[in-house]
Amino acid sequence: MKKFVKGNEAVMIGALYAGCDAYFGYPITPASEIAHAAADMLPQMGKVFLQAECETGSINMMYGAASAGKRCMSASSGPGMSLMQEGLSYLAGAQLPAVVVDVQRTGPGLGNIGPEQGDYDQAVKAGGHGNYKCIVLAPASVQEMCDLTIRAFELAFKYRNPAIVLADAVLGQMMESLELPEGQLQVPDTKDWCVRGDAETRQNLIASIYLQIDLQEEHNWMLQRKYESMAADTQAQSYLTEDADIIITAYGSCACIALSAVDELRKEGVKAGLFRSITLFPFPKEELAQAAAGKKVLVAELSNGQYRDDVLLHLPCEGRGQVELINRMGGNLIRMEAIKEKAREMMGVKA
Amino acid sequence: MEFNAKMYDMPQEKAWCPGCGNFQLHSILREVLAELSIPPQELVFVSGIGQAAKLPQYTRGHMFNGLHGRSLPAAMAINAANPSLKVIVASGDGCTYGEGGNHFLAQMQRNPDIVNIVHNNMVYGLTKGQASPTSSKGMRTRVQVDGVTNEPFNPLAVAIAMGATFVARVFPGNKAQTKEVLKQAIQHKGYALVDCFVQCVAMNKVNTFQWYKEHTYELEASHDPTDRQMAFQRALESEQYPTGVFYSVEGRPVFWEECAAYRHNPEPLFRRSVDMEKLQDVLDSKA
Repeated sequence: MKKFVKGNEAVMIGALYAGCDAYFGYPITPASEIAHAAADMLPQMGKVFLQAECETGSINMMYGAASAGKRCMSASSGPGMSLMQEGLSYLAGAQLPAVVVDVQRTGPGLGNIGPEQGDYDQAVKAGGHGNYKCIVLAPASVQEMCDLTIRAFELAFKYRNPAIVLADAVLGQMMESLELPEGQLQVPDTKDWCVRGDAETRQNLIASIYLQIDLQEEHNWMLQRKYESMAADTQAQSYLTEDADIIITAYGSCACIALSAVDELRKEGVKAGLFRSITLFPFPKEELAQAAAGKKVLVAELSNGQYRDDVLLHLPCEGRGQVELINRMGGNLIRMEAIKEKAREMMGVKA
Repeated sequence: MEFNAKMYDMPQEKAWCPGCGNFQLHSILREVLAELSIPPQELVFVSGIGQAAKLPQYTRGHMFNGLHGRSLPAAMAINAANPSLKVIVASGDGCTYGEGGNHFLAQMQRNPDIVNIVHNNMVYGLTKGQASPTSSKGMRTRVQVDGVTNEPFNPLAVAIAMGATFVARVFPGNKAQTKEVLKQAIQHKGYALVDCFVQCVAMNKVNTFQWYKEHTYELEASHDPTDRQMAFQRALESEQYPTGVFYSVEGRPVFWEECAAYRHNPEPLFRRSVDMEKLQDVLDSKA
């Protein structure tokens, strides 16, 4: 069955199929419609919607709900995401599953409510304190706003780790046809670790504090091994990359424009391909190396090279000299024509 | 120098809806500033984020438009750095009582010499109509679909309980009283809270201009604003809302006067630079 919905509404539809028990959030543009959909639908399902007094409140309500093994989520943008970082660090330290949707707006500071991808480092490198990582998924359509929210719950519970759906103002506000998911998501039983105040979970303890330094280090090593094991769940899209001479790589709404540029370049005889990262952490390192081997790479992003830096970090050394960047900021999108022009320039062909 | 309300206006178009209560409050505030003959260069308008928080941009004077909920710490610091400036905070109920609730409490304990005007329209306007801390019980919104269940936040009772030194409520629909109260608030030495009932024509269909008009009345002339217990009792009234000065006490030292930095040196903080000799003395004393 299909429905014509906004990206932000698709998030909540996905969350319901994922069995979301509770939504805690504070209003902010351009993410508020996720809360509106949550407020409309969750109570009808006998679940919890709560408007928090601030984002610090939201994330700490999630700390509690996740400790009880419940599937909880929040959504925010810009300044609100910054306020949640302290809590995300605690959730990661305490190994708790939770989903936060970041409908990115511009920054730094107040910025404006236009689309940008400037929260990349905050999400992917972990914006809070300590040696932790969040799982980060990057949708590029209304369909993926739904599907990757479900996937975020799945991975969050698989690894007992917070997951961020890194969207942007374009994806949140645009409307597209959504194919509704089939069946409800099954997640692993939580009774081995959650605290429900019953006999079954009586032995469990949720904590991110280890006062003995060796235990804290051991905990940190264990977390790092867990993050490494997440490489099993990378996800990426390679489009016309096999015979390509130049790979355009992007994620999120920016990848939609890059995809059109690839099609147009092909018509002109330029062998271009698209590599789109769907998971940003874990980064699809192997997939990128394979798609980009021996090719020029053009990174397109709506930020100051944050994604480019990760592309450089994950490419084999010999591929790094061939990477260039095209980017816009401040709420501007990259024009498809500009991507084409840059690709032609890199390939030494004239329009 | 001739003072008139116009000189406090900024030329740009105001991004408030036609009929928004912020217009009336803004216009009264400008008249008050003119009548008190405060030159724009001696004024600092401070705000967070929200519809009300746009006021500093529309008013001639110095301006600090900071983070959502964080106007008060900035205002306190501006006052402490340069006590000769008149600091007026203008933000909404969501910004001041919700996101910034903790700062609201902390400033009342510190008693900075600032005026805290809260545009209380009982709804989140900028983010399009979610309930705010002061929304009435039962009010339906797009997120409180079955109606608000929270007890509404009572800023006046909280402020009186916390020992705020000036606590008032106004409804700009009552222009004469609003003017008088704002004047007193600006002239008050110490923290002055003025909760202002303003209508949000776009997002709050319950608390309209008419509703505020019908649900407010002036505190009697016999009300003694130095009687804290009576002030608290009047602040608890909730069927009909009294307006006017509930509580006012003069003579309590303000935050900057209590700062150690001012104990032996009246020079405002913003004029001070690093005294290298003094630094050497401080370090030597630690040896």
